[in-house]
Order: sequence, then structure tokens, then C-alpha cells
Amino acid sequence: MMSAGPSGDEVGLESSLEASITSTCSFGPSRARIFKIIVIGDSNVGKTCLTYRFCTSCFPERTEATIGVDFRERCVEIDGEKIKIQLWDTAGQERFRKSMVQHYYRNVHAVVFVYDITNMASFQSLPSWIEECKQHLLSNDVPRILVGNKCDLRDSIQVPTDLAQKFADSHSMPMFETSAKNTTDHVEAIFMTLAHKLKSHKSLILSQPPENTVQLNSGAKTTFPCWC
Amino acid sequence: MRCPRGRGAQWGNAQGPPKGTTGGRAMSWRKQKALQIHQALTSDPIDIDALRNAAVSEGGLLSQEIRRKVWPKLLNVSVLSLPPKPGPSIRCNHRDFNQVEMDVRRSLRRFPAGMPDAERSVLQEQLTDMILYVLQSHPELNYYQGYHDIAVTLLLTVGPRLGTAMLSSLSTHHLRDFMERTMDPTKHMLNYLMPVIRCESVQLHDFMLRSEVGYIFALSWLITWYGHVLSNYHQVLRLYDFFLASHPLMPVYCAAQMVLMREQEVLRGDCDMPSVHQLLSNIPKDFPFETLVCRTHGLFQRRPPAQLVTQASLHKYKSVSIASFHSLLHSSSSQRPDFVLRRQADPEPGALAPPRSQNRLVKLAVWGLSASLGAAALAVTQSALEWGPEILLGLF
Repeated sequence: MMSAGPSGDEVGLESSLEASITSTCSFGPSRARIFKIIVIGDSNVGKTCLTYRFCTSCFPERTEATIGVDFRERCVEIDGEKIKIQLWDTAGQERFRKSMVQHYYRNVHAVVFVYDITNMASFQSLPSWIEECKQHLLSNDVPRILVGNKCDLRDSIQVPTDLAQKFADSHSMPMFETSAKNTTDHVEAIFMTLAHKLKSHKSLILSQPPENTVQLNSGAKTTFPCWC
Repeated sequence: MRCPRGRGAQWGNAQGPPKGTTGGRAMSWRKQKALQIHQALTSDPIDIDALRNAAVSEGGLLSQEIRRKVWPKLLNVSVLSLPPKPGPSIRCNHRDFNQVEMDVRRSLRRFPAGMPDAERSVLQEQLTDMILYVLQSHPELNYYQGYHDIAVTLLLTVGPRLGTAMLSSLSTHHLRDFMERTMDPTKHMLNYLMPVIRCESVQLHDFMLRSEVGYIFALSWLITWYGHVLSNYHQVLRLYDFFLASHPLMPVYCAAQMVLMREQEVLRGDCDMPSVHQLLSNIPKDFPFETLVCRTHGLFQRRPPAQLVTQASLHKYKSVSIASFHSLLHSSSSQRPDFVLRRQADPEPGALAPPRSQNRLVKLAVWGLSASLGAAALAVTQSALEWGPEILLGLF
């Protein structure tokens, strides 16, 4: 009685999540490198929608508060190599991140910070998220990116792009503004860029010996362009 | 207490009435159980042990009509001492208002499919009021995401007034540990999970330990009593029957039992955290919940918390939820039946006028009952039809 059936591009979260889980990783997990990416940020900034968009190519019309952590994954092929991207979608409420989410920082390969460009408070929370992240991560060279979500709501913007860009620069992070709702807003490209960056990262070897010969298609060190 | 013995294909015996029954006999079994519940409700004092047994045993509380009467009793909530109808001031200046509002707004999935937006909006407003009333009246309690999943189940079953009273009682008992300033007490409750599994299967326990899966997969199960993760509302109600009648740790035992029933599946999979987390997080739609409840009940009897507490990790923490459970059990054993309470509250002709406050209480109770009826009827038409309401309605 609770889950909506598929209708066009907007799909009940539950039904299509199952589809994504059964269909995504058709090549065996043992042969694919695994990139574990944690997605964090305030409540209601759109973390679930972003991860859902990337893993299923759909925008979930009805999402709920995430309790604890949800897990989504998608297998991609980059330069002929099969890679499994695991997205850990975390709860935004402070009490969860204080005592529960730390478990999921273990062996994490990249961090995506998300804020809502129509909600200044969610942007102002970023320093505390970044600080907590530093405490949990053992290594300083774990790639991190900043994503301003909901840029389809142009009339309600509270966080100017230049302000966010300056903040991102000061923390040496690439910054993107996007919308999980609009198909044209490059959610796919953001995560794929991150995957490319991870693929080039020598320390991220899991199930294969080091590969030093991979050529990057996109920038590995410098900040990325904002596509909005 | 009736409890099917597990056997059969993947998880054991399928749910249902006693084996080999025909449709007619199954109906009479339900009718008989409903009658017993009715007798327990009308005995003076109420036979709370019989109600608890009914909530746990096969079929649970059978229908929304019965739940509406029995659920409050399980928490020692009287229909005559309901909280007042909330005013607008309830939303002012509460530290958790924004979070509550945000979560309630996004809780669409928890309302019956096909419900008109206007009706759902009214219920969502009531849901926000319920939560804020409890938080306002207990400043020591902290809202957590998932609390709204419990509140909505109460709202859809017993209505806003009884729902608020029940939520208040639950929050100071079963849910108390989840509402501390931090989630450390919640983690402590989850610490029971692996020891319970170990008691039943060392192999499964060791596999899960090696995978480093932890216990976060069971977090939303525990703090929402599975309301957040199950899409089948009947399954949610069945579990709520069980948990309302049980020890605060029962949802953790239930999580352990669920994992145990999927042991072969887990052992066949990859031994790493994402694989195990993902497998366990996705509860199969056809999971046999009746068997789950029965086996969890047995597991709890076999391995009570006191037996596990000797382990170091469980030893050092005092749980308020667990400590307060015994007082709840004690206080709920001397409840009077509703009809007695109403007769007491209702002034007889010629008698002295009752105190004004009591009179007001009656009005509020009537308001609450009618509101509950409205919401319950609205929300559960489908399920009530399925349970054969004509017989049960005839009884009550």
C-alpha cells in the first residue's frame, strides 16, 4: 500500500532501488575495484536524491528521512576497467553523525559534502562537517568534493556561487552546483569525475595490483569547473 | 500461547492459523481469540496478562478495532486522561520543530496509498502536534529521525489523542534510551545484537564479525520498530502488537532472529561489510513475520537479557528503558475497564455535580474517541476488510 509504482522518470524509491541493486553489478564483484564514497551534509539537502539519481538515473519523487545509513551502488566502466561505486547515504540529523556515522568512515575512498543552495544554514554547517570528517579519516589525501544541490530552484537561492567557490577553494575542494531533479544537471558527471580521480589514485588499490599507466580524462589535481 | 513450530521451505512454517484448518475453522479460531480479548478487556481489573499474550501469540491483535482498544491498555493509558487538544503555541520555539516538520513533511509513504492530499495534510498536522506535545511536556527528551515513524503508526491506529498519550508513555519507557542527548544509549541497546546471535549460531556470529558489518543495519529497525523499513502495513502492525506487549529489548531480539532466519543466505554471500549490510537491509517482501514473532518470543525466553549481561560490553551501562519496564508492567496490572471508568466519570441523575475538571475530561475523551474513530476508519479500511470486521464489530 505504500510504494508507488513506476511512472515515467519519477519512481517510488523502494521499487526502483531494488531494480538498481539487482541490475547494476552484472560483472562479478570479485573482478571489479570498489570505490567507497560517503555522502554527508545537513538534513534535507538532497543526499538521498543525489545518490539515487546517480545509481538509477531517476529522481525519486518521494524520499524520506534517512535513518542511519543507506547504501547504493552502481558499476561503471572507466577506460576499460570495471569499477563498482558504492555510495553511503547518511542521515543528516546531528545526533546520528555524532555517534553512528563514524563507523562508515572506515576504508572510505572519497567524501562528498552536500549543501542546499536555497538554505544558507546548510552551507554554514559545512565547516563542522569538514572538521568531523578530518577527525574520522586516517589519511589527508582522501579526495573530497563539495556539491551545492537544488540549483533548479533558482528563485530561492541563498548561497551565491562565488561564496561557495571561495569556500571550496579555501579547503582545496572542487565545487559543483547541480540539481538531482534535472536530468541536464550533470549528477552523473560529478560522480564519474570523482571515480576518474579515484581511479588515478595510487593508494586506492583494492582488488588489483597498482596500475600506474592509466591516463586521466579529467583533471586529477586542480579544481573542477562549476557547470551551473 | 499458540505458537507454530518452524518447519518448511526457506524460513520455516508459513504464517496462519493452526495447521490444516479450513477457512471456516480459521474464522472460528479468530472469533474465539477476539472473544478472549473482549473478556480480558471487560474483566475488572483488566486481564493485562491475557492481553499481552494475545498481542504476542499467533495473529496478534487481529484487527484495527481491537488494536484501538488494546494498545492503550498495554501502555497503561486511560481513555479518560488524554492530553488536551493542542493549540498553536505548541509549535513555538521548540528546538526540534524544524527537524520534526521536515521529517513529517517527507513521511508521505507512511500514509495509505490513494489518500487524498487534503486528508493526508490534516493527518500530517496532527502528527507534528503529537510529536511536539510530547517533546514540550518532557523537556528531557530529544527528538530523533525515526521517532515520527513510530508516531505515525500510533496516529493511524488509535487517532491523535490516544496516539499522543501512547507516544508519551512509550517515550518515557520503551523509546527512552533513543531520546537521550546522544545516541550512546541506543548503541548500548544494539550491543545486545551480536551476543544474542552468538548464543544461537557461533558460525554466523563469526562470519558477521569478520565482515565488519557492525550493527548499523539494524539501527532503523530498532528505533522505528521496523516502521521505517517495511512497506507492508500489516507487517508493521503485527510487530507493533508484539513490541507494545514486550520488553524494550525485544526489537533487538527480533533483529537477531531475523538475521538468524537468513543465516544460509548471509553465509553464502561475500564476507565484507557492504555485501552483508546490503543483504540484511533488504528484508524480503515475503518474509514470514508470524514465524519471526513466534521464534523471537522463544529466543527471548531462552536467552533473557539478564543472561547476556554478564558479558563485559553489556555490563557497564544502565538502560533507562529497561529499568522503567518493570514499573510499567506493575502499574498496568491494575487498570479498570473503559466502561467502568466512563460510568464513574458520568454523573448519575440527582447526584452531586462532578468537579468541573472531570467534566472537561469527559468532553475531551469523547472528542478524542471520535477523532480516533475517524482517523482509524480513514486509515485502515482496507486492512479491516481483510480481517473480517463484521464478526469483530459485532463483538465490540
